[in-house]
Amino acid sequence: MSKQKQIGMLLLLASFALVAISCSVASNKEPFFGKTVPPERNIFRYVTGDEPESLDPAISNGQPEARIYMALYDGLVEYHPKTMEPEPALAERWKPNNDSSEFKFYLRRNGRWSNGDPITANDFVYSFRRALTKETASRNAYLAYYIKYAQPFNEQKVFVRDPQTGQFLNAKDFDETTPAEPLAGSPLDSTANAEYSEPDVHLEGRPESEFHKQMHTPLRLTLPGDAKGRTKALDANPKLKAAVAGKEFVPIKAEDIGVEAIDDYTLRISLVQPGPFFVGLLAHQVFRIVPRKVVEKYGSAWTQPQHIVTCGPFKVKTWQPYDKLVVERDPMYWDAATVKLDEIHFYPMSDNPTIMNLYKVGEVDAVLNHTVPNAWLEVVRVKQDYMDGSEAAINYVLINTTQPPMNDVRVRKAFNYSIDKEAWAKWRKIVKPLTAFTPSGIFKDYPQPQGDQFNPEEGRRLLGEAGFPVIKKPDGSYSCPKFPVDQVEYIYNTQESNKAMAEWMQAQWKQNLGITVNLRNMEWRTFLNVRAKLEYKGFSRGAWGADYMDPFTFLSLFYTGGENGTGWVDPKYVAMLDEANRMLDPKKRYELLAKAEKFLIDAQPMIPIDTAATNWVKKPYVKGMYPNAGSLFPWKYVYIERDPAKWDYGVPDMTAD
Amino acid sequence: MTPDPDLIHASPETAITEGEYVRGTSLWRDAWRRLLKNKLAVFGLVVVTLITLSSLIGPTVIKRATGYTPDYIPTSDTRLIRSFPPFTGPDGQFSWTHPMGTDNAGRDQLARVLQGGQISLFVGIISTLVSLLIGVSYGAIAGYVGGRVDNIMMRVVDVLYSLPYVIVVIVLLSMFRSQTARGQLILLFIALGSVSWLTMARIVRGQVLSLKNQEFVMAAKATGVSTPRIIFRHLVPNTLGPVIVYATLTVPQIMLTEAFLSFLGFGVQAPLASWGSLASDGIQNIAIFPWQLIFPGVTMALTLFSLNFLGDGLRDALDPQMRTT
Amino acid sequence: MLRFILRRLLVTIPTILVVITITWGLIKLAPGNFYSGEKRLPPAIEKAIRDKYGLDRPWYEQYGKMLWSIVRHGDFGTSLKYEGQSVNGIIRRSLPVSAAVGILAYLLALIVGITAGSIAALKQNSRWDYGSMTLAMLGISLPNFVLGPILVLIFSLSLYWLPPSRWGGFPSRNLILPVITLSAIYMAYIARLARAGMLEVLRSDYIRTARAKGLSEKDVVIKHALRGGLMPVISYTGPALAFLLTGTVVVERIFALPGLGNYFIQASLNRDEPLLIGIVAFIAITLLLMNLLVDIAYAYLDPRVRY
Repeated sequence: MSKQKQIGMLLLLASFALVAISCSVASNKEPFFGKTVPPERNIFRYVTGDEPESLDPAISNGQPEARIYMALYDGLVEYHPKTMEPEPALAERWKPNNDSSEFKFYLRRNGRWSNGDPITANDFVYSFRRALTKETASRNAYLAYYIKYAQPFNEQKVFVRDPQTGQFLNAKDFDETTPAEPLAGSPLDSTANAEYSEPDVHLEGRPESEFHKQMHTPLRLTLPGDAKGRTKALDANPKLKAAVAGKEFVPIKAEDIGVEAIDDYTLRISLVQPGPFFVGLLAHQVFRIVPRKVVEKYGSAWTQPQHIVTCGPFKVKTWQPYDKLVVERDPMYWDAATVKLDEIHFYPMSDNPTIMNLYKVGEVDAVLNHTVPNAWLEVVRVKQDYMDGSEAAINYVLINTTQPPMNDVRVRKAFNYSIDKEAWAKWRKIVKPLTAFTPSGIFKDYPQPQGDQFNPEEGRRLLGEAGFPVIKKPDGSYSCPKFPVDQVEYIYNTQESNKAMAEWMQAQWKQNLGITVNLRNMEWRTFLNVRAKLEYKGFSRGAWGADYMDPFTFLSLFYTGGENGTGWVDPKYVAMLDEANRMLDPKKRYELLAKAEKFLIDAQPMIPIDTAATNWVKKPYVKGMYPNAGSLFPWKYVYIERDPAKWDYGVPDMTAD
Repeated sequence: MTPDPDLIHASPETAITEGEYVRGTSLWRDAWRRLLKNKLAVFGLVVVTLITLSSLIGPTVIKRATGYTPDYIPTSDTRLIRSFPPFTGPDGQFSWTHPMGTDNAGRDQLARVLQGGQISLFVGIISTLVSLLIGVSYGAIAGYVGGRVDNIMMRVVDVLYSLPYVIVVIVLLSMFRSQTARGQLILLFIALGSVSWLTMARIVRGQVLSLKNQEFVMAAKATGVSTPRIIFRHLVPNTLGPVIVYATLTVPQIMLTEAFLSFLGFGVQAPLASWGSLASDGIQNIAIFPWQLIFPGVTMALTLFSLNFLGDGLRDALDPQMRTT
Repeated sequence: MLRFILRRLLVTIPTILVVITITWGLIKLAPGNFYSGEKRLPPAIEKAIRDKYGLDRPWYEQYGKMLWSIVRHGDFGTSLKYEGQSVNGIIRRSLPVSAAVGILAYLLALIVGITAGSIAALKQNSRWDYGSMTLAMLGISLPNFVLGPILVLIFSLSLYWLPPSRWGGFPSRNLILPVITLSAIYMAYIARLARAGMLEVLRSDYIRTARAKGLSEKDVVIKHALRGGLMPVISYTGPALAFLLTGTVVVERIFALPGLGNYFIQASLNRDEPLLIGIVAFIAITLLLMNLLVDIAYAYLDPRVRY
């Protein structure tokens, strides 16, 4: 009977659905991706990535949060919208001392909190100390470790004092590797300004503060605060143990950190080493200020919308977690006249296709970086609203160097030689091939070293030298029968682009070395755990974006042993970096950093793959937003342009100031 | 996971039809005859068989015919566009090489869908067997012994039912970490099987509860048959009707769960693929290369569709009272 | 009966505690932590975070503190990942989202499913019957993570009729696609249940009697047949609603809705211990209560089942 009809009907339905879907494939002819109707009011709707962990700028280290903090909080300096160089914010101007180990910041007088209170240097002192307090548990505290005694304070260490004389023990007497002490080396004059290139008019003749004098005494010895850790440290150094006997331990206090309010509008920061890049670091979220009164009154609930007080161009209007954060223009902001948007709506979302769909239908005006899925690039990259800029970020492959066969540098090099990075970059479309460990073309005047180019012949030779001869089979393919394939794998966290990279690497090694490396994908947190504990064999996906605009943010990944996920550590490398950072001349410093980088890529604890490029979209009517290298945007410059003639057609001009 | 209505209405009716079950072997012959009469069920059976067969031999055939294996990435082809629509060759012209097109990396979609079928069907069947084994014995014991034991056993089921299975899978996969893709797959079977026997246990218990006061059980008890024997020789065979039906419906459920785990990133390891992982990859590209979702999605839907028809047919065949056509 | 209900309610409490305990143990076993990132934090900072949340205290102390706070104050603590947000607050906020989508989806499923099922039963073996049953089977077989994106592709990306995702408040146009996606499978189940139930009833004696009495076909169907034929649908409602109320992970993820299901997955992936325990406990309570309702209904419907 009519069972056949039922089946027929099913087939009909299925084919109808197929046709409907095939017809609706995105058309390639329009200049922009999806709708381009500006919102009615001056409201900017932005997808910033994952749900913010907190609205407290000291807490989170994520980029999604960083962009929200840039709307809500101000710091001494702010990122330039195009170059990301520091530009004046709450500090009108600043002055380094002769060796860039101490900075004076002159604050503007009209800085105000969103509740109308004035912003003074004391707010900075409080916020820096708070961020470094252990109980705050700031993920970013390490970025402030350049400040004198910030690290030992954050680690709850102690000074050692002689109870008789009241003298503190100095670090350089016990440890040769202590970095040179710039501050201690330049004895203080009676005037505060002698070591600064130009004198301070309004501070002239003022007596030097006790605190500042103390900052210029030799670096004190610090020891672990807990008895167990201390015993361990002392046992390792008999000379130290003898010297410490009979001395008292003084816990390091927040007041010992090298941050001082000279007066209400002058702030001085003393570093533990020369930091020519330090001002650039100050735009980072951890250096943005929080309102003392509110924080002390409400504790961790101070970020709730009913309590929060902010100091940025925008203030919180409403916050529905996981749905949206609405910020509105703050009339109290010192530069409120520049702010053009009435509101910004931040949408926390993390699934890329979902975000792109929202963008396409015009429900959001711009999206975060790396949102356009690889396959979509075919269609989206040719559109005029695609933001293609160079990015201070790299993709690389980590190698677990602690286990054979990867503990042999020849094997590591062989795997590096046999990856055709040019071909990868061509296929990936939005990256540039990379042979070194810093992103190419980001740091001006940095003499980036060159690593090994694609050379499978050399790779096969090295592998043979290491005891794993590669045999050419009659059909032209290779095989490496002696290589212990079960001792290597490639791990990555589940994501479309990571999978593409993993499969590419696998295919390259199979083709050029005849070695099939097993792939293993993991859920994000498991992956991080496995990688950090070196529980993987062979290779692991890695990526890093700059914390600040200096090559050191990349090179420092291998500065401390054990935490870089490769197990590779070399005191020589650390010494080279230290030496570079002691250089006062920026050019010389760059040369030494480049030398260290060359050393790193020769040791090959990782395989550099590519320099990333920005990969996001914004509607053409969004102006004042640029694809800068860190994808961080000072929101006060962003506005909605209603006249199509003035829209951005293509990437906006990044060179004009 | 969606609750299955069969769980709710399967229990009361079967008891009434008890009389027919005791007829022994002719029941199965009868059922088979009735199943063959049901055209939709036959359609389901044929489609499932076809898909299974082509999944098994398909990848080999394709390799012979076109040289493409499911994991072959043509890296020598450095061109930008590697995702070809169905029946299109690298030159953009009509070609038989990729009847389902290719994926992002240029791999043959048909070969991948067929290989994905192997894994999805395998996952579905093995995990269903695991859930059958645990679920039937657990449910039967709980139902027959009754009283406090039943109460405790069912509370255990309640507890397991409420556990966050994502976390269960994370823990299982990480505690028994396996280095190979195949090993990971076996872990996946265990993980899926161990979360899917709960409903089966409930169904069997419900059946046994309404069967255990029947005369034939009383009779067995009176003649001194041991408890395990009563459970496994007298009770369990009588619950097989609904169990088989539910098992055919569990296969799709498990395939969906596996697909969902792939969607979250816990599924099979690359370069292996399942329909679920293919579909979740395809979702990423739906606006650009819809065929990457359509083909695995439709194949999977067709299989589930057929399995459901087959399950319906089996129920009708095994349980004439429920027959509605 | 009352004793049975009371006893079951009493049993519910230890069951929930066991669920909480096992979940707690599972998170402790799961590798990774909520604070890890692409670059590993310096050990001192990791320690500061662990100390802040007492993660380095002995396990019995952590467990006892968590359990005491839950039992004594019904307080699940604050989220680890989302600093300063209370778990109870998160559940209170996300439940209405999940419930709105879930209940709307179930209502839609009921209306369409019962109509389609009844028509199919009344016009058995007609085109209507086959059409609606094929659609129902399709609804059961099409995974919702395939259906959702296809609907989005057609109705938002191609036609620009509806927003593709996000929560737009209640009521709003944003609800349409998730509700349809979610209801598809329930619609299909209900249509099949309603059809089977109606067929059963239409053949029964009392309908024959009603017809013999000369009642109009309309009256027979609406007054008598529907009432009896929908029994299976009603008993299906319990567990189905429990699932729908507590959030459906896939749909909430596809449409980026801030509901319980989404939080549940996020909490699992983030190893956010208090949040996950809170959500799991809440879902467990709902499920257990709904199961209890089903069991009570069973006891009423089938006198052969004895407790």
